[in-house]
Amino acid sequence: MTLDTFEALSVLSAILGILILGTTLLRTNLSFYRMHTLAIAAVTAWIAHITKEDHLYVVALGVFLIKVIFIPNFLNWVMKKVDVGSDKQAFIAAPLSMHLGALMLGLSFLLSKQIPGLVGGHDSHLGSTAAMSILFTGVLLMLTRRAALSQIVGFLVIENGIYLFAVTQTHGMPMLVEMGLLLEVLVGVMISGLLLFNIKKSFEHIDVSQLTELKD
Amino acid sequence: MESLLTDLNRQEWLRAGAFFFSLILMPPLTVGIIRKTKARFQNRIGAPIFQPFYDLTKLLKKDETISNHVSWIFRSAPSINLSLLFIVACLAPWTTLHPFGIPGDLFLLIYLLAFSRFFTVLSALDAGSAFGGFGASREVTLALLVEPAIMLSLASLGVTAGTSDLTTVFSFENVKLQSQTGLWFIAGCGLFLSSLVELSRMPADDPTTHLELTMVHEAMILENSATNLALAELTHFVKIVVLLGISSQCFLHSLPWVWHASEITRALASIGGVFFMAAFIAVIESVAVKLRWTKLPEFIAYSVAMSIFCVLIALSRGTN
Repeated sequence: MTLDTFEALSVLSAILGILILGTTLLRTNLSFYRMHTLAIAAVTAWIAHITKEDHLYVVALGVFLIKVIFIPNFLNWVMKKVDVGSDKQAFIAAPLSMHLGALMLGLSFLLSKQIPGLVGGHDSHLGSTAAMSILFTGVLLMLTRRAALSQIVGFLVIENGIYLFAVTQTHGMPMLVEMGLLLEVLVGVMISGLLLFNIKKSFEHIDVSQLTELKD
Repeated sequence: MESLLTDLNRQEWLRAGAFFFSLILMPPLTVGIIRKTKARFQNRIGAPIFQPFYDLTKLLKKDETISNHVSWIFRSAPSINLSLLFIVACLAPWTTLHPFGIPGDLFLLIYLLAFSRFFTVLSALDAGSAFGGFGASREVTLALLVEPAIMLSLASLGVTAGTSDLTTVFSFENVKLQSQTGLWFIAGCGLFLSSLVELSRMPADDPTTHLELTMVHEAMILENSATNLALAELTHFVKIVVLLGISSQCFLHSLPWVWHASEITRALASIGGVFFMAAFIAVIESVAVKLRWTKLPEFIAYSVAMSIFCVLIALSRGTN
């Protein structure tokens, strides 16, 4: 069986997503996130090319501009402002959580066999595998990391997973919905970025595991 | 006998000749290329590409100084290692020139490499210097971490091909492996990352430094001099070529046009691949820094993750 280009690209994005888990350096996390989202934008463009739905090109461009260029740059800026370089003491050591993520890729391969494909059975199978694995990756990121910035990255990865699932299974939603989602993500990230400043100001750290402790 | 020689046609003999020629010439040349590229990156002219040859001949002429306390192990380990590495080079498919179709089992190859490491470690401990001791302990720790990565990526190629003989796996003839671009590419990445560690190159160990606290490979051959040092260095050069050759073969197999190319093109591409990887290592060493010892498992985890991806791909082929 040979891989279609879009299947190969979506598996590539899943693999790049898993590589985010491997390090606690936030800068490296963000550049892996950039590559991971670039692969997703390429999947979108490729599906637009196959299905001849021109609005998907616009969506791919939107994903590229907002999620590949703007959001990582914005988060890099936030990182510099709140002055945290790395995510100290993750709950599970970074290498271990990456290997866990790789096993989740295998698990989602088995799981996605149970899901009937929406658009013609076989060709969306690996797409849903990749999407599900990205979802698991995001969940792992949010569960195992302490820094609030990693939580934002985890949220973005989960969002990418849901987006990839929608794109590969339905070959794209209406333009308005996609644009609304992109705007939502943009606003979400900006608000959480601002929230980070406030957390940093009142707690002097961005460790989410200690936010439950009351402070006077 | 006469008919046998003519039967094993001239092409095969030509191939064998080219193989041994490149086996002798390529290891120092590859190191020369690495050093030259690094020098150019640092805005220096750098030593000529053939400098490693001159260094080796200079070392062979020198008088040897050895400690009074060493045993025969220290004296014989470099020659044992060099012969082991030549055996590995003859078995491993590091170029397409591989002569006579000698079968090379992947487990045999990995453990021959481990065997040569065993003798290096033994000779480092034998000299009784403190640096040799901790160089050895670091080398063994790294080997322990890297071994699963190399093993799993080669084994997943073997599982897909249905054989553990690397000569068949890397022969450009196996139909099952022909369109597995992703598997080859990821296996290549995994093997490349782990060979960086295995060869004591930059993220794991700085080959140019002689700062005792950080060295790994250099600390182990610190006590060697003259002929022994030349043999140890040559062993390391051969190891560089073999490991880089295997990973560049993986990358070449992931390119569809190589599968349809003629034999000569493939041979040239595989030799060029090794030199390209060498230059790439030099680029990495120019832009990256050596990782702190405690950060190293995180780096190795990436190569292990790549090999896990390989295993997943190989297994998912089985279920389809």
